[in-house]
Amino acid sequence: MKYLGWDELLPGAILFSFDEEMEKDASEVLPENRPYAETNSYKAYVGDWRVLKPVYNRDLCIDCQFCWIYCPDVSIISRDKKMIGVDYDHCKGCGICVEVCPTNPKSLLMFEEQVDNDKALAEWPEKE
Amino acid sequence: MSEMKKIKNLKEFSTSADRFEGANLLCPGCAHSIIVREILNATNDPMILSASTGCLEVCTAVYPYTSWDASWIHIGFENSSTAIAGAEAMYKALKRKERLPKSCEGKSPKFVAFGGDGATFDIGFQWISGCFERGHDMMYVCLDNEVYANTGGQRSSATPIGASTTTSPAGRVSYGEKMNKKDIVQIMAAHGSPYVAQVAPNKWKDMVKKIQKGFATEGPVFINAMSACTTEWKFAPDDTIAVSDLAVDSLVFPLYEIENGTKLTITYRPKNKIPVRDYLGAQGRFKHLFKPEYEYLIDEWQKRVDDYWEYLQRREEAGV
Repeated sequence: MKYLGWDELLPGAILFSFDEEMEKDASEVLPENRPYAETNSYKAYVGDWRVLKPVYNRDLCIDCQFCWIYCPDVSIISRDKKMIGVDYDHCKGCGICVEVCPTNPKSLLMFEEQVDNDKALAEWPEKE
Repeated sequence: MSEMKKIKNLKEFSTSADRFEGANLLCPGCAHSIIVREILNATNDPMILSASTGCLEVCTAVYPYTSWDASWIHIGFENSSTAIAGAEAMYKALKRKERLPKSCEGKSPKFVAFGGDGATFDIGFQWISGCFERGHDMMYVCLDNEVYANTGGQRSSATPIGASTTTSPAGRVSYGEKMNKKDIVQIMAAHGSPYVAQVAPNKWKDMVKKIQKGFATEGPVFINAMSACTTEWKFAPDDTIAVSDLAVDSLVFPLYEIENGTKLTITYRPKNKIPVRDYLGAQGRFKHLFKPEYEYLIDEWQKRVDDYWEYLQRREEAGV
């Protein structure tokens, strides 16, 4: 994307969310079907803010969706009432999802960023 | 009027397609975006949004990016309310002249203005007051984090007594902020607004119910949303929901609504009331209150909260 300088911007500068007209309102189109423009922050990456990352364990999840509602960064992917996973491009690693997870042991846990997800799943703690 | 979105439980709610995008630059664990998501997901109607200068505005529209999948405008610090009021007046005029674009047919767009507590309690107050006097069909949401967080934590008139901020620092001679917080909910109710409510993001069901009620109400609606700020309240980012729970259960932020300026209803009564001391202890900005010379402030605070809760209950009983 070509960035304009601060003095090249037009008055009333507009940032477009989508590249083309959408037939429906965005509330009726799931993110994977949206024609995102390069100027949408969906295309940006904040994964490098993380020190710890949440790892998701499908076997323990009860699909309560607490993590979905309380995620500040829209990084919990839920489709058809099921939790699918974590969007690591937009997750800043705040850890709220882990705190609100009600299962025992938790189905989301924070691990060091460099740890492999499969390895993390193998090290999952037992029920207390 | 189009039909209100049905949200029975969280599973059903989670099928919503978010109109607020990630990779905004809000701090990790910021409650602002939790509140915004809950509001935007409460309806499927088109939304026309505005934001005052503040954390939400600077972090969601960082050139060259936008985080909003709906019409969104920012003008100045004080006038998110008037910007959206103007848009709403335009919509009404076009509707009257039957000149609305095809995309608006059969839909009822929702007009929502966002502002921080600085933009609501201090800088934008007379603009909001004007909008409420004129009776625009809009909703104003105050994201109340009790401090000017965007510029580095200066006190606002929402900052409570005893909080340490950069312009009211606690130290040898001072215990921090000395003035009490404005009761903005009652102030806005006194405008005769048809619907005014206080909400908290951790009580999502209560919040979504109030937002939908606000959308269904014709006229200016005011929502005061408690927004725990991990940076300025000084707690760990993963504790946002826990601190919000403490604030609501200790009744520092009681959840209630006022209809037509008078009818007050308490919408959430904590099963176990938590002492204010626990709420204060969870945050770094009140650390100094636990020194022996300032402990009396905690007792005063507890009394203030108890009195206010008593007052709300009396008003609810009397129905005025």
